[in-house]
Amino acid sequence: MPKVIIDGEEYAFEGRPSLLQFCLDQGIELPHFCYHPSMSVPANCRQCLVDVGAPVRDRETGEFQLDENGEKVIRYFPKLQTSCSHVISDGQVVHTARSSEKVERAQRDTMEFLLINHPLDCPICDQAGHCPLQIQAYKYGPEGSRFEFRKVHKPKKVKLGPNVVLDAERCINCTRCVRFTDEISRSGQLTIIERGVKNYPITPPGVSFDEPYSMNVIDLCPVGALTSADFRFQARIWEMASAPSITTTNAKGSNCYLWVRDNLVMRMTPRPNPDVNEFWLPDEDRLTYRWFNENRPCGPAALNKSGACSWDEAIQETAEILKNTGKETLFLASARATVEDNWMLMQLAEAVGRQVAGYIPHIEPGHGDGWLRTDDRAPNSQGCARLGLQPIDVKLWSARLEAGEVQGLYVLEDDPVAAGLCSAQALDNVQVILHYYNTTNQTLPSANVALPAATVAETIGTFVNEAGRAQRVVPAKAIKGVNRTLMMQMGVSRADQHGTPFDRWHNESHYVDCKPSWEIIPLVARNLGVEIAAQSPKKVMQHISASIPAFTGATYKAMGLSGVTLSPIETEVAS
Amino acid sequence: MADFIRNPVVALPDSNPEAHFSEEELVFTPEEKAKIVDYVAQYPTPDGAVMWVLWLAQEKFGFLPPEVMRLVATELSLPYAQVYGVATFYTQFFKEKKGTFVLDVCTCFSCQFCGGYDTLAYLEEKLGVKRGHTTPCGRYTLQEAECLGACGSAPMMQVSNGPYAYNLTPEKIDALLAAMEAGKPLPFVSVTLPQDEDEMGGNRRTDAEAVEHYVVPPQAKRTQ
Repeated sequence: MPKVIIDGEEYAFEGRPSLLQFCLDQGIELPHFCYHPSMSVPANCRQCLVDVGAPVRDRETGEFQLDENGEKVIRYFPKLQTSCSHVISDGQVVHTARSSEKVERAQRDTMEFLLINHPLDCPICDQAGHCPLQIQAYKYGPEGSRFEFRKVHKPKKVKLGPNVVLDAERCINCTRCVRFTDEISRSGQLTIIERGVKNYPITPPGVSFDEPYSMNVIDLCPVGALTSADFRFQARIWEMASAPSITTTNAKGSNCYLWVRDNLVMRMTPRPNPDVNEFWLPDEDRLTYRWFNENRPCGPAALNKSGACSWDEAIQETAEILKNTGKETLFLASARATVEDNWMLMQLAEAVGRQVAGYIPHIEPGHGDGWLRTDDRAPNSQGCARLGLQPIDVKLWSARLEAGEVQGLYVLEDDPVAAGLCSAQALDNVQVILHYYNTTNQTLPSANVALPAATVAETIGTFVNEAGRAQRVVPAKAIKGVNRTLMMQMGVSRADQHGTPFDRWHNESHYVDCKPSWEIIPLVARNLGVEIAAQSPKKVMQHISASIPAFTGATYKAMGLSGVTLSPIETEVAS
Repeated sequence: MADFIRNPVVALPDSNPEAHFSEEELVFTPEEKAKIVDYVAQYPTPDGAVMWVLWLAQEKFGFLPPEVMRLVATELSLPYAQVYGVATFYTQFFKEKKGTFVLDVCTCFSCQFCGGYDTLAYLEEKLGVKRGHTTPCGRYTLQEAECLGACGSAPMMQVSNGPYAYNLTPEKIDALLAAMEAGKPLPFVSVTLPQDEDEMGGNRRTDAEAVEHYVVPPQAKRTQ
């Protein structure tokens, strides 16, 4: 196997890797800005310079030339090489800044040039704290600036499009954003204009940077030049905690991080997963985080208890209604709820002698683009299908509901009125039990018992994306009540790590009084005198993966944080 | 450039400028289209021909407002942004309307030493406009240029991306302006380097004849 010597240590490699990617894979840090593994290599930031050489062979004998100490003579390239564009070959000797003063000097000087016209506005810059330029300037940069002249001033707060704001002064012209629009999203909306000290990326006149993936350039930008119009100046990076999650805007199940401060979700950023979304996230996914924070319920309510009531009362009331009208109740699963919640609902329906009718399809034809957006606007249709649930016939059930043929309706985390299943009037004489996320839910006014359910940001559970990849989520924000299962899975938030409820910034109202449906449903079942065997979502998934062939292998352990692809199923998901 | 050092501010281009040309005007004739096809055929990918086509468009329309760049982009099936980026890179592509004659006076290092700014000031006075502006009659645009690569014949200027005028003196400038005014070919003498004059009969180039009139620099022959 060919070998390369980096900083005196020998590494074996395969194929023709680029030196920079190989070093990063081996955990050898090399500073860089313009290189991105999924895009072309322009080598224009010049920050990843290394000294590369090869042992000299005698032309006639083919033997390595040795110096007086008996060591191989190394002939170096006359100039330092950009490691991103350098393909390693066998026997090469590489010196990074750790073993070569020349490289260290070159990187420091390159950094000095990059920083000449860079404004020193880190204290107000959104990127500060996770800024590659800031980090690398500390590690590899000069101690100060020798530039005594006026810095070039370029346009600031330019709205490139609805979601992206440009601060041209901060730009170091790495062209990552331009390459993204040229090579990845292929909208071709950005370009670098002018030249020399005057250049910066922008859209041409009359063009708005409005492509559906525009916000990815914000993550790509190695400085604070491209910022989110939505998140700009909202929070500092060190005030937030991030939790790995998945997006629920569509059936792609793109991996993301939810960034939480004081128990409010502040933003969503992509979480690299080569099997699902690579490094990217569509704008529609990122901009939907507000429903985790806004219009959230302040506790359960029951019509008979004249509004707000305790959880115990609400659950007793639910059980009461199911006892009376259970046999005539229409149970609706949800493609927005987790596999565990849907399975729980199936157990509950069985307990009162019914079957779950299916789930409300949320198909929006023409919305998908064959990439990270899908026609299906719900995250878990595939998960429902694998549980044996089918999309309900909306026309049929709509007619039955309008005709008053249904006595009760049990809705799991969905909104039949908004989905067009029935009008609010049609539910006047129906006993409606509703698990809901937001007070904007249009079925809520008709509900006899309203049970606030934990959103994807607050629960534990499994979603199966359209390609059959089972992915689990962990809670990013805490709920009001105490749930040990949730708390054990919770990442550390700032409140947990640095603060107490007595901090000035602490706001109790950011804790929503809701419960995950997998906690509510077993309580209801217990009130009906039935025990659902598996109680925690982990155990539920263990049970499901063992008993339902469509879920074979979908245990929490196997899913980890990047999910597991399940074997394909026969049934067609929602057409 | 001197102004930029004193006041280094880069302006934001107008994001929604008014169109200068109507839809009917924004077309290439069949002959021009045939030329474009020829240009594209010279390169492995169509984006290689972008400068040729921009040049063609500038000769046709006089300058390159956004709608013309868009036309070029459509013609070559390139992203409009890419064409815009190329056009803004080169100062020789005019992004706004210029005079009939564009006078690029070099004020870079060698010309500066030999009186580039004097030349510029003389022209400013003579034409009655400041650098970077066009005369009200629309005939002359006076510009400061960075090095045009004729340091041996400083101070110099270039007229409308074409002929160079070397070793400028007030008299030479007067003669140039008179020729422009009269619509005659510009007085032009190809220059020599002092050390070669005797050996090469006053011609510093060994590959071309000394000429009295400006000729278009030789262009690479197309391979077909």
